[in-house]
Amino acid sequence: MNIKQLCLLITLLLLPISAYSIEPAGLEIMQRVDARDDGDDLIQYMTQRLIDRRGNVRDRKMISFSKDYGKDIKSISYFLVPANIRDTALLTWDYDGIEKDDDQWLYLPALKKVRRISSSDRGDYFMGTDFTFEDIKQTPELEDYNWILTGSERLDGFDVWVVEAEPKTDALKKNLGYSKTRYYVRKDIYMYIKVDFWDRKGQELKHLISTGIKEIDGIWTATGGVMRNVQTGHRTELMFSEHQYNTKLPDRVFSERMLKRGYRAK
Amino acid sequence: MKYIFNWVLTHPKFIIILLLLTTVLAISQMRHLHIETDVDAMLPKHSDAYLNKQILEDRFGSSDLVIIGIINEKDGIYNKQTLTIVQELTDWLGEQALFRTLALNDLLSLATIKDIRGSEAGLDVALFMDGVPETQEQIDYMKKRMHEFGIYEDVIVSADGTGTIFAVRPRPDSRDKYADIYKLVKDKVAELKARDSNNTFFISGRPVIEGVFGMYMPQEMKRMQPMIMMLLVLLLYASFRTPRGVFLPLLGVLMAEIWTLGTMAALGINIYTITTMLPILIMAIGIADAVHFLSRERLLAHVESFEHKKERLIEVMHELWKPMVMTSVTTGVGFLSMLSSDLPPIREFGVFAAVGIIYALLITMLLFPAALMLLAEKDSHNQRKPLFSNYVAWSSQFILNYPKRIMAFFAILIVVSVSGIMKLTVDASMVEQFKPDDPLRHADTVLNQHFSGTTSLDVMIDTGKENGLLDPIFLQHLIDLQVEIEKDAMVGDTSSIAEFLAMMNQALHADDPAFHVVPESSDLAAQYLLLYSFSGAPDDFETFMTGDYRQAHVRINMKTDGTEAVASLLASLKEKTDIWFPESEGYKVDWAGTGFTLHSLAEMIIEGQIASLIISILSIFLLCWWMFKRLIVATIAMIPVSLAVTVNYGTMGNFGIPLDIATALTGAMALGIGVDFAIHYLHRYHEESLANHSYAESVSNTNRSVGHAILFNTIVVVGGFLVLLSAALYPQMKLGALIAATMIVCYLATCYLFPVLLGLGKEKIKV
Repeated sequence: MNIKQLCLLITLLLLPISAYSIEPAGLEIMQRVDARDDGDDLIQYMTQRLIDRRGNVRDRKMISFSKDYGKDIKSISYFLVPANIRDTALLTWDYDGIEKDDDQWLYLPALKKVRRISSSDRGDYFMGTDFTFEDIKQTPELEDYNWILTGSERLDGFDVWVVEAEPKTDALKKNLGYSKTRYYVRKDIYMYIKVDFWDRKGQELKHLISTGIKEIDGIWTATGGVMRNVQTGHRTELMFSEHQYNTKLPDRVFSERMLKRGYRAK
Repeated sequence: MKYIFNWVLTHPKFIIILLLLTTVLAISQMRHLHIETDVDAMLPKHSDAYLNKQILEDRFGSSDLVIIGIINEKDGIYNKQTLTIVQELTDWLGEQALFRTLALNDLLSLATIKDIRGSEAGLDVALFMDGVPETQEQIDYMKKRMHEFGIYEDVIVSADGTGTIFAVRPRPDSRDKYADIYKLVKDKVAELKARDSNNTFFISGRPVIEGVFGMYMPQEMKRMQPMIMMLLVLLLYASFRTPRGVFLPLLGVLMAEIWTLGTMAALGINIYTITTMLPILIMAIGIADAVHFLSRERLLAHVESFEHKKERLIEVMHELWKPMVMTSVTTGVGFLSMLSSDLPPIREFGVFAAVGIIYALLITMLLFPAALMLLAEKDSHNQRKPLFSNYVAWSSQFILNYPKRIMAFFAILIVVSVSGIMKLTVDASMVEQFKPDDPLRHADTVLNQHFSGTTSLDVMIDTGKENGLLDPIFLQHLIDLQVEIEKDAMVGDTSSIAEFLAMMNQALHADDPAFHVVPESSDLAAQYLLLYSFSGAPDDFETFMTGDYRQAHVRINMKTDGTEAVASLLASLKEKTDIWFPESEGYKVDWAGTGFTLHSLAEMIIEGQIASLIISILSIFLLCWWMFKRLIVATIAMIPVSLAVTVNYGTMGNFGIPLDIATALTGAMALGIGVDFAIHYLHRYHEESLANHSYAESVSNTNRSVGHAILFNTIVVVGGFLVLLSAALYPQMKLGALIAATMIVCYLATCYLFPVLLGLGKEKIKV
């Protein structure tokens, strides 16, 4: 073996390592996703369209207000449609980390009472949609998963990182209802545009696709999302509109009093 | 005709090879045979029961669940050991690929059902058992909640706490694997049982019942076919005492059976429970052709002398082709009358019975002469006197001496039978097809004793408008309907969305039982469901209502699948549902489920039965009239078969055997087989009369020739059908016993009543 060959061999051996050193690690990517600017507060309209396997459609419309409190988030949503749940309102205090359960209250106008919603498992489905409580968060609790960058590819014309997440323990897998998830994160804006989910048996379960991604007031925003459960044939389409970022929402918006008062369009 | 016979006899080798090749072709097709045990597949595609079942499955999911019960008589189920097993079995069921376990109602067990609790602040939806409880306190609390919640009491846990149930849904595409599912569950349960013998396990549910049925059917046929063949060998040997007399008929009927099944396979016709009876029926009819042919051949060899074997065979063929074609046509027409039934299994049975009969005729007329031509004549054979010759001679004397006794005997038989027909009932129950000591039937009985019931009956109510089912008046009527249905002793439990909404109403009013009523407004109901959706899964109620809140489903658990129980329930509810859910306001009420399927099946059996019997008797009568050219003779020809049919249904009534899809066939089968006897007899009697023999001579000659053949035929068929008495399933047993009894009546009516009737009047009736 001459020097030339030896150099080549060393180069070949080092190549994968050097490739790794250029790419950020899986966790690091997700941390950047988590840290992405999403404004300090937001007002938006949301439509939930629930479509069962027979194609029956149920629409709900609501207006929602949310505001960051450090790493915690408070939000309040008023249902506008359908008529039979109009003025029903949901107040959520979403705490960072998993030490403290989130608080949720629902105001039922027909009963004229505020009802506290019992803390749910993170894997429980949210409002009859195909999203679980875990899914509707901006990013999952990063410390609960092992994150592995499995590669890069082009998806819908964008360069994406493919990051796989496996819940760290069996208890977490049971709690979350997933054995594995896979995120496709856009390299340019640190936003995931597609997520695949596998159930506890390891079977393909759901696919989330974010749509209508655009910059609003300088903030990258997904204006739509489709979660499709391939096992039940059920799917949920979310549509967001009329975004208003950073309007300096006052704290009293997120109170029980406002919950009962209902939403009054200006 | 003579030309054809001649040609057959001069080309025996060609004929035999042709027959064998056809048989090989038929065998090659038989691997395509498909056994169908789904009772819904027995319904016509346009019937309400079939369509409603499709709608039910589409809207609310199938109600056909595998049911596993654990019973612990000693400690009850509220102890840590048993609850550990409950958790383990639940987890295990959730992991099996053959089950669909996506939603709550796909896998109901103590470890999956959810409690709806009220608290000062709100609504709690939580599992009754979230993991195996650690302390006695937790167990006691669970027990208390189960009782207070009420909805799952008796449904999932027996009221006395001694047992609990698992109800799990097979995957929609696993229909062919029901037998595998049963085995899978049985093995797992045996493993659990071995660990703690205090718990007894019981498995039932419609998929299991159908699976076991599908398993038993081919097993039983494989087991009984050789027994029947053995018996045939014995009886044929006793009759003819020659190897050819045994093996030719055997080969003939086997060929006819194979050809028929091969044809069915090639055409993609399903095998149903009753179709498994087809080979035996073809055997019974095919053997008749064989016996008549061989008897006649022996008789001619005995009495009259023909110089050559070929001439004797031509004479046999010439004498027999007419009555054989006649019997085949009348029998075939009798079976084709089954086409008037709406039920595919009965229709197909009729068609392929007719096909089998034609095959049997063809094979008899080709195989026998060809084979006999090839086989060397043995003098010793001609010396052997047929068995029962003395009895036959005695019977002729008896007929001539005691006509009145014979008349009296049949008069009594008719009276007894008619009184039996009055008591005839209809039942299409699946469970009752199993013997009482069958493990499956035993399990089903135990489960029905301890729990709400293993048979599903479903009411689907379309409110006609979106959100219609949230209307408080409608919800109250749902509750009223449930109360009304639960008054029936055969109903174990009912459930609907109204119950759950009442439970939520109570929970949101601090668990005050006074609020266990349906929500007072449609909006409130909608808001409860929204509130529930924060804690429960989206599909928790998918089996009780559609996503647009338009269609509601009331699930009824019945303790029996007996069709009379369903019929009386439906009749008593009709008036109420018309008031509560009037069509004029856009409501539509539809029934479905196993109970309803079987009920519809029973109704169609009766309708089809009456129509097919009338058509069959009428067409056979017309055929006889046309063949014998005399009304009186045709009328007489109908007597033994009418008698046989009467006795058949009378026996069923007297012995409490209900009409079901299997026994309903016996009438037509009795007709089909019985008419053969009459035609052979009358044809021979006619020949005797033509020869200017006296009445007494004609009777004894006919008795000696045709009477002898009919006797053998009866013995062989009765023997064959009696083998069915050893079957594991009731339908085959009942059919065996009934056909055997009917055949004996047919024989007696033909050989004893006929000559007496023909001897009536001063001018003995000439045929």
